[in-house]
Amino acid sequence: MFAKALATEFLKLRRSKVTWFSLIALSLGPLGIALFMWIVREPGRAAQLGLLGTKANLAGLEATWPSYFSMLTLVVGIGGMLMLAFIVAFVFGREYADGTAKNLLALPVGRVWFVLAKLVVAALWWLVLVAVVLVEALVIGRVVGLPGFSAGVALGGAGNALLAAGVAYLLAPVVAWITTLGRGYLPPLGFALAMLALGNLFAKTGWALWFPWSIVPLSIGMVGKPVQTLPLGSFVVVALTFLTGIVATVLQMRYADNTQ
Amino acid sequence: MEVSKRYGGALAVDALDLDVRRGEIYAFLGKNGAGKTTTIRMLLGLIRPTGGHVEVLGKRVGPGTTDVFARVGYLVETATAYPNLTVRENLDIQRRLMGAPRAAVAEAIELMRLGENADRRAGVLSLGYKQRLALARALLHRPELLILDEPANGLDPAGIVEIRELLRSLTSERGVTVFMSSHILAEVAHLADRIGIVDKGRLLEEIDRAELRARERGHVRVGVSDPERAAGILADAGFAHVELADGHLRVFDAEERVSEIARVIVGAGIALTELAPAHEDLESYFLRVTGGVE
Repeated sequence: MFAKALATEFLKLRRSKVTWFSLIALSLGPLGIALFMWIVREPGRAAQLGLLGTKANLAGLEATWPSYFSMLTLVVGIGGMLMLAFIVAFVFGREYADGTAKNLLALPVGRVWFVLAKLVVAALWWLVLVAVVLVEALVIGRVVGLPGFSAGVALGGAGNALLAAGVAYLLAPVVAWITTLGRGYLPPLGFALAMLALGNLFAKTGWALWFPWSIVPLSIGMVGKPVQTLPLGSFVVVALTFLTGIVATVLQMRYADNTQ
Repeated sequence: MEVSKRYGGALAVDALDLDVRRGEIYAFLGKNGAGKTTTIRMLLGLIRPTGGHVEVLGKRVGPGTTDVFARVGYLVETATAYPNLTVRENLDIQRRLMGAPRAAVAEAIELMRLGENADRRAGVLSLGYKQRLALARALLHRPELLILDEPANGLDPAGIVEIRELLRSLTSERGVTVFMSSHILAEVAHLADRIGIVDKGRLLEEIDRAELRARERGHVRVGVSDPERAAGILADAGFAHVELADGHLRVFDAEERVSEIARVIVGAGIALTELAPAHEDLESYFLRVTGGVE
């Protein structure tokens, strides 16, 4: 039953522009970082081109591979939370926007399988995006000619970015639940933005270790703490958020009235 | 089965109790907001009854019901499809979920005359073709039971006749049972084996086609100078069913007593301007049962 649901979920992405938009949006990440790196290395030429504004604060940014990778981790971690909200909102929300949700409910395939299939589609979609962006980042980094490249740096950097992408994904099922609860695109996107803001706010407080949307920036070292110093409890919180999101979405699909 | 659905304070379906027999076409007839779609949603498990329960093909329907839906085809309210997929791709999704053979898609396209539009995206189809796609989706896996909410929605007159003939042939040739809703009596009067008239969530009458014919009830149309007083006098004289309609009186079950009506009215000193037997058409019968035009 799961295989049937999964196959149809992939078919639904056919001719969908949203997949391409998401790829274009995320692939702007490495380009942006590389641009900053280039500005740091060649401030004179950047100023000539008008790229070095008086407000630009690039102090502390090193134009090296390790620094490039740590910024990339930020893009797939923090940017990933938003991008995943977007992906999940689309995969689940389109059924409400297109009025097709009712067609999923009275079938020989149980509703739980659609929830799981949609989450798998979102995960694979996200994985492809991250993989493409990593390859793109490597190419751009070489073209810009950043110093300090080694296989170890590249593997370590890619590993960190994948870890950040993975942790960001663990928060996606909650967004799926908000989508099925709100029956459309706007509630999950609003929710994701609010959580991102709250996560940022709490990141500077003692609650950061226990608030899922703060744990992601913490885990990627955004607030100065490397992943190794996070207590086990933080990982438990993120794992519980993941499971709660899945269970809540399944229950919502199974028991809520569909009056569309 | 007896089933109810309450939304907050509003009772959408009120202790509705009906049975559909295998192989028949049952039309669920009511005005907009009568509770037809709510009932259909409960049949499909899309919403949960607040009282009672429903059974489909002998199986009680609940939130986790799956198996029995392999034998059911349905269309609820607006016809919807994935707009970025073609007609064929939309049907292919349904085919996979239903576990139907590959040929089922082409067969459904043929049956619903979607051939010319088979490779067009569903998003650009006209309302009528979207409806055809939704019907094709419902029929694709050769269900035993079709639950169709306003199946003629958006179809042109020729399309309506086509659907009527299709449903008739499905029941006679494949033994399919059809439960359909409609707000147009004329649409189902010539199709349904039985009609359930629903209003304000209650089943008012359940009649079969033969009975419906019989109920195209004759009455006597009476024009008088003082209709209200005449109605009272006729009632006193033993005419049980007298109605005031657009300045006239309608006296039911009185075809044999026309001369008696004349005598009573004239005897009371009321001027008689018209006295003629008439037949009530199906539409006004429906309106009368459901409480008239709002």
